[in-house]
Amino acid sequence: MKPLSPTLRDDYRYIAFRLNFEDPIRARDLQTEIARTAKSLFGDVGVSKLNVRVVAFDGTKGLVRCNIRYVPELQVVLASIGKIKSNRLCVTTIGTSGTIKAAIEKYLQIEEKTRRNISSYVTVPVSGKAVRICGEEIDIVPEDRKTVDRADVQFIGITIDDNERLI
Amino acid sequence: MHAYVDIGVHAFPEGADTPKRLNLAAYSLGFSQILVTAHSTYWSQFPDSSLPSGVEIVAATVRDLRKKIAFFRDISTIVSVHGGDERINRAACKDDRVDVLMHPERGKYSGINQVTAKLAEKNDVALGLSLDYFWKSEELQRSRLLAFQRRNVSLCKKFAVQLIITSDAYSHLDLRAPRQLKALAGLLLLNDSEADIALSKAPLSIMKRGRQKKEENL
Repeated sequence: MKPLSPTLRDDYRYIAFRLNFEDPIRARDLQTEIARTAKSLFGDVGVSKLNVRVVAFDGTKGLVRCNIRYVPELQVVLASIGKIKSNRLCVTTIGTSGTIKAAIEKYLQIEEKTRRNISSYVTVPVSGKAVRICGEEIDIVPEDRKTVDRADVQFIGITIDDNERLI
Repeated sequence: MHAYVDIGVHAFPEGADTPKRLNLAAYSLGFSQILVTAHSTYWSQFPDSSLPSGVEIVAATVRDLRKKIAFFRDISTIVSVHGGDERINRAACKDDRVDVLMHPERGKYSGINQVTAKLAEKNDVALGLSLDYFWKSEELQRSRLLAFQRRNVSLCKKFAVQLIITSDAYSHLDLRAPRQLKALAGLLLLNDSEADIALSKAPLSIMKRGRQKKEENL
């Protein structure tokens, strides 16, 4: 089939996003969750108008495409994603652009802090095992799971200021 | 540039993250500050050296609520009331020592009517819109709360009740960027400038007023 001429094609906007997660997410799962949330919020007709697709995703940052008229709706969809397969996460939008090239240059070329696994027993501010460090952020698996269950997460989040012995 | 503030964040030991971790996350999202609030039921678990700045009073009866307001007004910058029960919502709006009535729609009905809204306006009690149900609740619950909040927002607009938007976060994964909260507020029939006020001017003025009320009470 002959491709549509550029003037007849839909106009898109590209939203760059950053993912904050407990366990790594696959691009396919993210795409499915975006579609599911969009359908739950706006229905089948809304999803067809949004025309949303994950264009790029490297595990922590990515680009998602939508119809130019429905950027606020896509913002709502991304903000409403809180969990994928019992894995808590938060999708934060960084910025919006008209082309993939501009979106990558503007928003996706910032170096992310690397996460590394550690194994250290801590007692301050909570007894448990520190398992992950990312910049100033440290994740602890607590012995007493009441607090994490209440917050529906896996880890207690602290910073290096809360426990300087971990530096 | 607005100074965005979230005054409904729950930190460790009630929530899963320490205040410093929440601050770090909030700052990277674009908030200028957050105010840690604890439900009155968890207040005793906080060490004396790091008591939260705000309290969200959970009360079973109106009498219990009044007692707790009198106790917490002296020690907290912001006194908010955990809404839901209609009698509690009304009693909170009647009391000028209360700063915010949080999520009154979490009961059987929307929780606010024209009488409550007028009382809230008269006593300078703001209405707290917790948007956490967007990412914590599933379809039916979400649509129900959205409908209730829409009704409350239109009532508040009509009777000039101050609105504030919070993420009611229990961890950094519950925090959302101000621009995302503004997009969600759009579904509650708040335009961009109204959402800006609910995220910046209103919480800042409540914090200022709360400090004054605390000093007056002392």
